Amino acid sequence: MRTKTKDSKTGSYSSFIVFTFICIIFLAPFFFMLVTSFKPGQEMLSKGLTLKINFDAMTLNNYKIIFFEDNRYLTWYKNSLIITALYTVLSLFFSSLVGYGLAVYNFKGKNLLFFIVLLVMMVPLEILLLPLYRLMITLNLMDTYLGVVLPFAVSPFAIFFFRQYIIGLPKELIEAARVDGCGEFRIFFKIIAPLMKPAFGAMTILQAMTSWNAFVWPLVVLRSAKKLTLPIGLMSLLTPYGNSYDMIMPGAVMSVIPIAILFLLNQRAFIEGLTAGGIKQ
Amino acid sequence: MGFNRVSIKVKIKKIYSVINSVEVVPYIFVLPFIITFLVFFLYPIISSVIMSFQNIAGFRDVTFVGWKNYRNLLNPHYYSALKVSFLYTFLTIAILIPFPLILAALLNNKLLRGRNIFRSSLFMPALTSVIVAGMFFRFAFGTQPTALFNQIIGFFGLGPITWLQGRSTGMLALVVLCVWRWTGVNIVYFLAGLQGIPQELYESADIDGANSLQKFFNITIPSLKPVIIFVTTISVFGGFSMFAESFAYWTSRSPGDIGLTLVAYIYQTGFNNNNFGFASAIGITLLIIIMMVNVLQLNLFGFFKKD
Amino acid sequence: MKRFFLFAMTFILMFVVMTVGVFPQEKPTTLTFWTFQESHNKFLQDAVTTWNAANPDRQIKLEGTVYPYEDMHNNLLISLQSGKGAPDLADIEISMYANYLKGTTPALVPLNDIIEPIKDKLIMGRFDSYAKDGKYYGIDYHVGATVMYYNTDILDKAGVSIDDIKTIADYVEAGKKVVAKTGIPFTVVEVTEHWTFYQEMIKAGSDIFAKNGDVILDNQTNIDILQALSDWVNKDKIAVACPGGFTHSEEYWAFMNDGGAASLEMPFWYLNRFTDHMPDLKGKITVAPAPSWTEGGARSAGMGGTGTSITVQCKNQELAKDFLAAAKLSREGCIKTYTVLGFDPLRWDVWDAPEITAPNQFTDYFENGTDLFNVLLEVKDEINPTVITDIYPAAINLLKANATFKAVKEQSATPEAVLKQIADELRAMK
Repeated sequence: MRTKTKDSKTGSYSSFIVFTFICIIFLAPFFFMLVTSFKPGQEMLSKGLTLKINFDAMTLNNYKIIFFEDNRYLTWYKNSLIITALYTVLSLFFSSLVGYGLAVYNFKGKNLLFFIVLLVMMVPLEILLLPLYRLMITLNLMDTYLGVVLPFAVSPFAIFFFRQYIIGLPKELIEAARVDGCGEFRIFFKIIAPLMKPAFGAMTILQAMTSWNAFVWPLVVLRSAKKLTLPIGLMSLLTPYGNSYDMIMPGAVMSVIPIAILFLLNQRAFIEGLTAGGIKQ
Repeated sequence: MGFNRVSIKVKIKKIYSVINSVEVVPYIFVLPFIITFLVFFLYPIISSVIMSFQNIAGFRDVTFVGWKNYRNLLNPHYYSALKVSFLYTFLTIAILIPFPLILAALLNNKLLRGRNIFRSSLFMPALTSVIVAGMFFRFAFGTQPTALFNQIIGFFGLGPITWLQGRSTGMLALVVLCVWRWTGVNIVYFLAGLQGIPQELYESADIDGANSLQKFFNITIPSLKPVIIFVTTISVFGGFSMFAESFAYWTSRSPGDIGLTLVAYIYQTGFNNNNFGFASAIGITLLIIIMMVNVLQLNLFGFFKKD
Repeated sequence: MKRFFLFAMTFILMFVVMTVGVFPQEKPTTLTFWTFQESHNKFLQDAVTTWNAANPDRQIKLEGTVYPYEDMHNNLLISLQSGKGAPDLADIEISMYANYLKGTTPALVPLNDIIEPIKDKLIMGRFDSYAKDGKYYGIDYHVGATVMYYNTDILDKAGVSIDDIKTIADYVEAGKKVVAKTGIPFTVVEVTEHWTFYQEMIKAGSDIFAKNGDVILDNQTNIDILQALSDWVNKDKIAVACPGGFTHSEEYWAFMNDGGAASLEMPFWYLNRFTDHMPDLKGKITVAPAPSWTEGGARSAGMGGTGTSITVQCKNQELAKDFLAAAKLSREGCIKTYTVLGFDPLRWDVWDAPEITAPNQFTDYFENGTDLFNVLLEVKDEINPTVITDIYPAAINLLKANATFKAVKEQSATPEAVLKQIADELRAMK
């Protein structure tokens, strides 16, 4: 038994070294992005992203541009924030309702419905790009925040996740509340919802992340320069017809920050929540 | 008046009690999904199928063309897109299952110091958008000798290479971007699965004198089968629907179609060339491909066998 | 309190309605404008200032939005088809223009009444690219005549004189000499865009389409030209595949700026790419007529372009037309296309105007800066036009992605095979 522990201890030392190495590689892009964000954008485009770091040549000028001079960046940021907030709130609310419905009740068509949820999860939205886009035109939702959010607000992934989570909660609570004469919605909002805090926490990050980084659908729906989101806006800077290269890297760095903070503050809830309900089936 | 008010109240109460009854209330809970499913899923799928048999030259200028759009699929761009999508899916799965699985198994060792930091660090890339990550790699894969990857291979006396203008190097760039962003996510999935494996299994294996490698292949992998199936399924899904990565490198057109995936082809035909009918036909075939590959894959893993 | 609030609200509302309703002339009319070129927006904004000074009773406010190239074209097409959301004015790039003329009634406003009165002063070939059934829908910014830009610093080192280069054969010889003497490539071949190949094709009198619309891309002339370009890079080694793939990439600009290649053939509008992106070459670049494929053959091709159009969704079409005429067709406007943008103006009658030869950033930058328009006047009658058809957008896209990329860069197919494949695909579209 003692030799065993020794074995895994030396094992753990070598894996410590391996992981340190791998993590350095995985985090290096962040470091390079940060360093490059202090250099003139022109240089990155003409020389490529380079290993050489010349600290003297670094300037805060790029950040000055995105925060004070070119107001486009803050507009994109604002749009991304609005869309992310809207999407997260809507998807958490609706998906938890549906998840609850599927987890707690027995009703006709329940199995079919659950199967459909799984099916929808398996179909990439990219296939629906064209018909959805035509639908948006018909519904007059082109170039609106709602148009970006609505088609995916009831997320099958979140429904699945909430269902799994709620199944794991003690059913007696619900029974007891019914005996007390509590209405079904009251039970959900007053008794179950508070118990789902960890699940909400995990889904908040996951959904916020999805929405914050979404690219293809917003690219289709959003039109006017005033409405563009961060990823689309950043991508639009990469054109030989403009000259806003200075904004690219600081813009990229600043776009990672809010989601990184959200993650670092809640990573425990996030990873535990994800693993609690996510893939047991 | 008074009487009326009471009767309204009674009515409301009655409606409320019907709504609140266990027969009706479940449908209210699941209603949001039913509506979104019908409006934003079923309807678009059906209209996609219909559009794939049409020639659409404008919003009101629609003609039925039978199988023509499907026959037009027999062209070099479609083959190229198929090839790129299949290869990309295959490569990402070939890397993103074993690599994170091994890392997760190592991370699961309680004696490993700093495992939470490692886990979070490896997860960080998943927080960046494809576009942001794509921008980094696009410039890192620059053609200049001073660009990051050329500097690295230059260190070994190679290059410089025009990475994003070659078929294999372009594919490499796509896979690198995907591996960077997804390794951490899959590690988290595998870790979750690992924590569900009863410790006794390992203990009894210890008693039988099994070494770590034997334990890994005889206990860890079989126990993780459901997770592996899950991760493979979402990887098939992600691989075939890949587009943003290619867009970040080449926008919607790439030289010699080196970055043309099936979804990129849909986007190009639909939005750039304004040929919705043909684009829908590509979409329908993509849907069938994904379904088939997933069924095949699940079959291979014996997912449909009842045990 | 509530009543007061209501009262106040009504009052404010009435005030708003009155100011808007009673004094409409005081407010400038807002025109919206979409483009993909920052500089075009600046140019039109400058034109608005001029316009407003001259037309106090017809003030304009131009709301310009610069979108990425593809997004702008996609969005515009969609808004025009769906009948809402389009801007008043829009820039449409020449290779995309045919998409907007499809169908029986294009959603653009015919501009014949501002073009026809000055027809004899305009290079009319440039207007045919934006016309259908005798109606002109777009006004370009320039003629886009191709010229050769030589880095004389490098030529001098190699002992090569520009005057000796008349034909492509001379050009290749000069290239060999430069490479042998200096080791510097003579030129670049675009491999992810079409300019290099396309302009040589046009200069040689060939094209993608015949005048009647037939696809002639795979004719022997074009195959020979593509083979020649491949030989430049792969056999004679006088050229390299363009860094970054095309001559509008930062990689290329950095390469060229460092004296990476000795020459480049591009349209006249490439002037401002030199001044903007290659500052170190100041005083080293000479503009000259490009070599012809045969002795006495054409030395230039009218390349590229962007037509500004008015959409039918515009509510002030007359105003927009008059403004567009003032901005781009008037003498002053045309001169500004050169002084502000560095383009070759659509009106040849301004090519020798005193404002054109007056010192500016271009006369400063180029070795023969005051002579630039003499080069143009020299080749004026040799500027071969291009044929544009319904499937032109698809043709250009296929050329960009395949022709030089496969035949020159990858060498994965012979010029003949590549061109035949593209041509067959185009034929299948008709």
